[in-house]
Amino acid sequence: MTATSSPTDRYVAATLRSLPERQRQDIEAELRALIADAIDDRREAGVDADSAERQVLTELGAPARLAASYSDRSLYLIGPEFYLDYLRVLTLLLSTLVPLWFVIFALVTFADGSPADVAFGGALYSALETAMSIAFFTTLVFAIIERVSAVRTKRRATWDPSSLPEVRAKRGYFTELIGGVVFLAVIVIAVVLTQTLGAVEGPEGDGVGPVASGVWESGVLYITLFFAIASISFHVLAYYTGWSTANAIANTVLVVLFAVPAIWLAASGRLLSEDYFRAVGWPEGANVVAVVVIVVVILLTASDAVGGFVRASKKRRTR
Amino acid sequence: MLNEEALATHRQELRRGTIVLACLLLLSRPNYGYALLDALEKSGFEVDANTLYPLLRRLEKQGLLTSEWNTDDSRPRKFYATSKEGAALADTLKRDWHDLDSAFLSLKDDS
Repeated sequence: MTATSSPTDRYVAATLRSLPERQRQDIEAELRALIADAIDDRREAGVDADSAERQVLTELGAPARLAASYSDRSLYLIGPEFYLDYLRVLTLLLSTLVPLWFVIFALVTFADGSPADVAFGGALYSALETAMSIAFFTTLVFAIIERVSAVRTKRRATWDPSSLPEVRAKRGYFTELIGGVVFLAVIVIAVVLTQTLGAVEGPEGDGVGPVASGVWESGVLYITLFFAIASISFHVLAYYTGWSTANAIANTVLVVLFAVPAIWLAASGRLLSEDYFRAVGWPEGANVVAVVVIVVVILLTASDAVGGFVRASKKRRTR
Repeated sequence: MLNEEALATHRQELRRGTIVLACLLLLSRPNYGYALLDALEKSGFEVDANTLYPLLRRLEKQGLLTSEWNTDDSRPRKFYATSKEGAALADTLKRDWHDLDSAFLSLKDDS
């Protein structure tokens, strides 16, 4: 393009740029004639050539918009027909994959020998990254679907009243949730207090708590806390997006990831300090408490996993 | 009091579609884009150039208009004319318009 090209030349070139090759010649010829007619009309009315041209082009508006109108292209990323599906898929993926990824990442880096806080930070960062990739790719896929007319005509969203979700018992749910958080806080405080303030003198004259010092120092308990927090966040998210089978499966994976190592630690006698129980005069205490821990872990995680499927199937039946 | 933007939107919604009918009726005699724009405006149909020109091509693609390049004048122009299908659609739309008009009138009588 030379410096001497007229505004009309530039306007026409900008419009044609995004049009399909086979349409260009015809549209260019027509558009030039239309612009020239409009300019002539204004000049006859006494407007000078430059301002007449400027007025006509201004009225035609942005070339990209005109070109989109010529080629029937949508000027939005995801239109009303797919927007609801897009939201549904996005929330489902985010609410299931991100918490799971967080926990798995934290576990793997921790098992790899990183300290607990590093594992936590890394997992948090990685979970954010995962969330962004999920959002990006979901959006990309839906933007493509929006632009492939074959897919668009195939899918006509049907909706009927039976797909309405059940009315949420908000109060009951939140009571349950707050109960869970309080329960968690009490357990954490109890464990920390007995381990530190409640420490008794061990055989080597140092303080020992009920939790084996190896486990305590390794930071395994932080991981347990991750799990609890991840699980609570997961439940909140699943509550808002509605429980689906995918949610229930993700939830099960989450609890199994927690339950298996926890039961293994307790069953192999690595969790509790036998020195502590001997020092407090209850030598068989370590075994008894280990069994209690195993039973509680199994009960809690199993009921949580089953509960997810029950919620999901309840929701399906109302469809 | 309805704000200006809402008012403009309502009126635009009501007019949407009338441009198609007006074009199909006016183009029973072949004409080119700019002259049609002018004719529409003179008959009281408000339409923007950047809406009308792509619309003509869409109608042509649907077989409702036919087109022909006229090179008799010094400036070649693309002339559009209503096809047989276009005329049939114009009849249907006109009937619908009259039905709506009488429906509105009957609303007025009842109230």
